[in-house]
Amino acid sequence: RDKYRYFACLLRERFDKNKDVKDMVKATELLKAGEEEFWANQHPQPYIFPDSPGGTSYERYECYKIPEWCLDFWHPSEKAMYPDYFAKREQWKKLQRESWEKELKQLEEETPADGPRTEALPPARKEGHLPPLWWQYVTRPREIPM
Amino acid sequence: METTLLLNTSVILTLTIILTPILFPLLSKNTQNSPTIITRTVKTAFLTSLVPMTLFMYSGMESIVSSWDWKFIMNFKIPISLKMDQYTLMFFPIALFVTWSILQFASWYMASEPYITKFFYYLLMFLIAMLTLTIANNLFLLFIGWEGVGIMSFLLIGWWQGRAEANTAALQAVLYNRIGDIGLILSMAWLASTMNTWEMQQALTPVQTPTLPLLGLILAATGKSAQFGLHPWLPAAMEGPTPVSALLHSSTMVVAGIFLLIRTHPLFSNNQTALTMCLCLGALSTLFAATCATTQNDIKKIIAFSTSSQLGLMMVTIGLNLPQLAFLHISTHAFFKAMLFLCSGSIIHSLNGEQDIRKMGGLQKMLPTTTTCFTIGNLALMGTPFLAGFYSKDLIIESMNTSYLNTWALILTLLATALTATYTLRMTLLVQTGFTRMTAITPMNENDQMITNPITRLALGSIMAGLLITSFIPPTKTPPMTMPTLTKTAAIIVTVLGIILALELSNMTQTLTQPKQTPLMNFSSSLGYFNPLSHRLSSTNLLNSGQKIASHLIDLSWYKKMGPEGIADLQLMATKTSTTLHSGLIKTYLGSFALSILIILSTH
Repeated sequence: RDKYRYFACLLRERFDKNKDVKDMVKATELLKAGEEEFWANQHPQPYIFPDSPGGTSYERYECYKIPEWCLDFWHPSEKAMYPDYFAKREQWKKLQRESWEKELKQLEEETPADGPRTEALPPARKEGHLPPLWWQYVTRPREIPM
Repeated sequence: METTLLLNTSVILTLTIILTPILFPLLSKNTQNSPTIITRTVKTAFLTSLVPMTLFMYSGMESIVSSWDWKFIMNFKIPISLKMDQYTLMFFPIALFVTWSILQFASWYMASEPYITKFFYYLLMFLIAMLTLTIANNLFLLFIGWEGVGIMSFLLIGWWQGRAEANTAALQAVLYNRIGDIGLILSMAWLASTMNTWEMQQALTPVQTPTLPLLGLILAATGKSAQFGLHPWLPAAMEGPTPVSALLHSSTMVVAGIFLLIRTHPLFSNNQTALTMCLCLGALSTLFAATCATTQNDIKKIIAFSTSSQLGLMMVTIGLNLPQLAFLHISTHAFFKAMLFLCSGSIIHSLNGEQDIRKMGGLQKMLPTTTTCFTIGNLALMGTPFLAGFYSKDLIIESMNTSYLNTWALILTLLATALTATYTLRMTLLVQTGFTRMTAITPMNENDQMITNPITRLALGSIMAGLLITSFIPPTKTPPMTMPTLTKTAAIIVTVLGIILALELSNMTQTLTQPKQTPLMNFSSSLGYFNPLSHRLSSTNLLNSGQKIASHLIDLSWYKKMGPEGIADLQLMATKTSTTLHSGLIKTYLGSFALSILIILSTH
């Protein structure tokens, strides 16, 4: 790993040396050559962690993740196994219904005209409002379902 | 003593025992299945199948059982007939033993799955289809088993349906198998039309058969057993859970194609073209798979490529007209390949899902049982003397050296054997020895009997199986006994060369700073460019030609060119050429018409 850092710093220095070249054509050519060399030195089979996209166990448990509205279909005997959750559930759902319009309005106001630029969601701006699309996060399934 | 009855009943009893876990829950509401029940069932079936095997070993008895004809035309009957000959009787205990070990392992490996019983059902149904395939006496029953294993392979590879790559891999498996099925159906049709039967006894008379149906059978084996042309599904099939890889894609399903060729080998024995084709195809696929395996970094893919390589070797054996030797290699290969997969499964689970060998190392102290069995399996794969691989692999190479055949195929196979040693040693070294490169906290333990028992059992099998099988089954063709020393030790020398190469390479990589992308490594890493080439080229061609047909042919041609615009074009062309010929003085023409009419009218 230390050897990689060394060579990366060398390459960076070569890039920086040519930073002051004003001639646009030559600068573009240099950039292209530099990018090609960078690409040629990339690892052919980069190591990917199992849970990251492209890894061996990415999305492995997608088929077991069921959405949260299925909880409404549980039998009362099953619901009795988690009394504290289901006691509060109706209140949470009412809260979600109330704040949905406000979240949508905030998102519509805050996204630029030609579509959103990033995937990041804005926080709640006003007092008493909830951050947009909070229900998706709060009720997301486990990473490795039971 | 009347042992025919015993033979028949014990085999049919074995089959029935396997069917019980599926039938009982349907019949009564109370009995529920669980993984332990299914494992125990398969164990019982294994013990029952030992009976006919010992009967066969000591008295050489074979039998055929026929029942219930399905007559759909008057003179073409398809009975359900089961053939219990050497191949079937030997294969049953081996397959059941391996499956039993795998099921026991799977009950530990898949313990966190919510639908584990369904998984075991799938494995059981796969086993039933595979056994149907082996016991079939006519091609129809074999085809049922063939399709059955294809379907179960699809379901099992795509076990985790949420994963996009698993779905594409399952689809690949089905499509490539289907292309192979075309060949099988072609040869079945030819057999039905010429021999008027699909029974093995009647159809396999060794007369001169034309090459076409044999090509069909070779195509079927290429598709099912992942020979060079139709091979990408096998490495992709590693998306399934490890027990699936162990059962299907190491010991049983991939040998279905080779098994078909073994069964129909009397048809092949006279046709030299087909045999040569088998030989070359097998040699090519061995070398190709071995080349690809040397630069892979995922344990399961390396073992998948080694399976592919060994299958090519089996194809080479069939090309040498030695079906018994091919079957011997199937049996011994089943043991150590399944064991390798189970060991890799144990390693993967211990490292919490890590499959990349660049992140393993130093496992010898931490997982002693697994690593010793891993080493034994790798040695057997390389063909170390007196382990299982030796008996089959060495014999194959000796026979190849002493027969007067293709030198090119010979060179390829020897090269592939050297490469086998290389990648096996690379895998062993990177996985087991050296400094640890794993993440620090790992749930590693081997305390569970569920892991250690199957692996040690299979290790014992891979050590003993070669010896046992060769001692008890006399070969039908005499193996070549006298040959120069060089030829006899060719396999071992080549393996040792491969080991030396691997050690050299590992020394080099310790000191090298940058991984360079040489063309050779690129070739090997991207699986010989085959995957992207064939997948993308064929689909783009198809879609492009489809688009051309839709837009150019239909719209442009029919509606415009054939109809109005075509006629208009023709007209235009005609008029343009003839415009230059005449001078358009209409008034003069009209005048001359009028004048000539007046003259004619005035003269009459």
